[in-house]
Amino acid sequence: MAAIEDVSGPTSRTRSRWGSRLDRREGRTAFFFLLPGLIGMVLFLVVPIIASVVLSFTNWKLLGTPQFVGISNYVRLFTADPQFWPVLRNTLFFTAEYLVLNIVISLGLAVWISSLKMGQRWFRVVFFLPTFTPGIAVAIVWMLIFAPGGFFDFIMRSVSIAMPSMLTDQTLAMQAIIIVSLWAGVGYNTVLFNAALDMVPQSYLEAARIDGANAWQRFWKIRLPLISPTLFFGTVMTAITSLQVFDQIYVMTRGGPGNATATLGYAIYQRGFQNFQMGYASTIAWVMFAMIMALTAVQFWLQRKWVHYDN
Amino acid sequence: MKLTTVLAAAFLASSAFIATVQAQEQVNLTWQMWGDEKDAPLWQSLADLVTAEYPNITVTPQISGWTDYWTRLPVLASSGQIADLVAMQSMRMPSFYSILEPLDAHFASDGFDVSAFETSIIAGLGHDGTQYALPYDVGPWLVYYNRDRFAEAGVAEPALDWTFDDFKAAAQKLTEGENYGYAVQAFDFVAGPVALGAEYFNDSNQFDVTNAGYAAAVGKFVDLVAVDKTSPVFASGAGAITGSGRFAAGNAAMYIDGPWVLQQTKDSVDFNIGVAPLPRGEGESRFITAGSGWGISATSQHKEEAYKALQVLTGPKAAEILASAGRALPGRLAEQKFWYDVAAKDVAGTHEVLDYMFAHSTPFRLNEYWNEFENLITQYMPLALNGDSTTDAVLADIQNQLPF
Repeated sequence: MAAIEDVSGPTSRTRSRWGSRLDRREGRTAFFFLLPGLIGMVLFLVVPIIASVVLSFTNWKLLGTPQFVGISNYVRLFTADPQFWPVLRNTLFFTAEYLVLNIVISLGLAVWISSLKMGQRWFRVVFFLPTFTPGIAVAIVWMLIFAPGGFFDFIMRSVSIAMPSMLTDQTLAMQAIIIVSLWAGVGYNTVLFNAALDMVPQSYLEAARIDGANAWQRFWKIRLPLISPTLFFGTVMTAITSLQVFDQIYVMTRGGPGNATATLGYAIYQRGFQNFQMGYASTIAWVMFAMIMALTAVQFWLQRKWVHYDN
Repeated sequence: MKLTTVLAAAFLASSAFIATVQAQEQVNLTWQMWGDEKDAPLWQSLADLVTAEYPNITVTPQISGWTDYWTRLPVLASSGQIADLVAMQSMRMPSFYSILEPLDAHFASDGFDVSAFETSIIAGLGHDGTQYALPYDVGPWLVYYNRDRFAEAGVAEPALDWTFDDFKAAAQKLTEGENYGYAVQAFDFVAGPVALGAEYFNDSNQFDVTNAGYAAAVGKFVDLVAVDKTSPVFASGAGAITGSGRFAAGNAAMYIDGPWVLQQTKDSVDFNIGVAPLPRGEGESRFITAGSGWGISATSQHKEEAYKALQVLTGPKAAEILASAGRALPGRLAEQKFWYDVAAKDVAGTHEVLDYMFAHSTPFRLNEYWNEFENLITQYMPLALNGDSTTDAVLADIQNQLPF
């Protein structure tokens, strides 16, 4: 053991010295190659992010010069704004319901598709279609379906179900938003989970079958643990996008009726680009950022309990 | 001495020459406007009028959609990219007057007379007594009605001074099954109560939407929907099916909008339409008007040329073109006849109705938070209309959220 160390010691030192010179040279070259991307990222990502931090401490109204107002935007948000807590509640409600339904439905569809003997590819394409359909266009079509006196009301009337119109009812409006979001968002996770399921080695499933495990047990004990890293990725990404929900609300309800569907994403747009309170909108954006960070951190902490990495 | 005189003369001559050269220098003005792409040739024909009058000036229209226009305008203004000529709507003047050049000094320099324009819209495109834009169109909110449905239901056509009770009775008679007498829209809660004599502002021009008069007037319109079921509830969404859609489909017999949609309303229906003033309350009729025009950007490098262009764009010939195309009831009084002759030709009572309404117009009271107020009405009023909340509670909620 000691002899081996003696022999390998000087050689590796030489290599590392030579290697570090090479690394530095290569590093410089790599830096220049990466520079265009870096400049773009600094200009369009880092600078705006810093600017929005600064803005959140001002009362900038787009026109005129911003004035520094300290933390009063944050104080107003948490103590004086009558809309903040309902908006936060709506955002969390949407995220919770949408996330659970999305994961359950997309996982169900993925399992179903992977069990098919034929037409797997065809179904994958069909379910993936909404993902590359523009969100605004999707929302407009659904808005026309759900509008008072629209197609949905017509269907409900013809089957003699008496219910209020979706978009003008305080409780149902959010459900309409969730239905549209599911329609548009389930396909991505379905394809993701389906690909993961196909990666599960057949030999594991074969072995389990020989050992007498039924389909239900094979799913819970083998397939689900093996796709849990993908499931985790899907959950985190879906949670982040659902906390930022905007398009559907902008088109279908504009936060209404009342504040029934007003979420953080929409509140930022409303304060910033309708009321021109850029400083205040930046404040809400930072609170939203902090919230997404915190929830994502919680998810990463929780993953230790349920995500299994194969190696 | 002699040399000095010669030099001075040479200097004067050269400066005069330079001035002439500068006057003839080619100037390209940009012109920011909202609208459909299909209107582009119309705006281009107006821009061409400027070049025909001043060969050294060319005007390039930049057209964007209505909603985008108002999102982009402050962004362009604060980043110094705003066009030389800027379209402005009277209701948004309190928020945006600061980006426009005051026109009074220009008017004084060439003795320009604004009396050729309808007075209410001249007031609408000013702020605190200073003029910031000249109008290309004007109009009060009025009631569009389906004459065929009125005849079928045996309802007399509206009189010029019809009251809210007449309006309500007509709406009730015209409502049958799936067909409504009226289709309420968000702005009806502004124009409607004003016509009934109510005020949404206090004396110092700040929002006071919970005052008894305004609440009662709003309540009357709410009851048409919530109690009498003469109108469907409108949804708060941006692309929601509007009153105009229902009206055009024959699903609602009356709705409220301005003369700016008359041409397109006329083209989209297959029945006879008429227009009537908004119903009045106990007192005299009174109506608010709105309109749009163009101003000069406060940061323009070519203000003199822009002022010349502005006079052509809002001049008699341009007004005639827009009126004949049915695009706008001109702010210029003399050219309104072209609109009556073309756009309003088959629409019953347009001339008398608009004459009556202009004669009874009242200043449209606005402040810098107007846009927020309109958004809140759109977002919250459906709660009162569908019976989830009361008119008073909804107005209190709106008042609570308005900055003051």
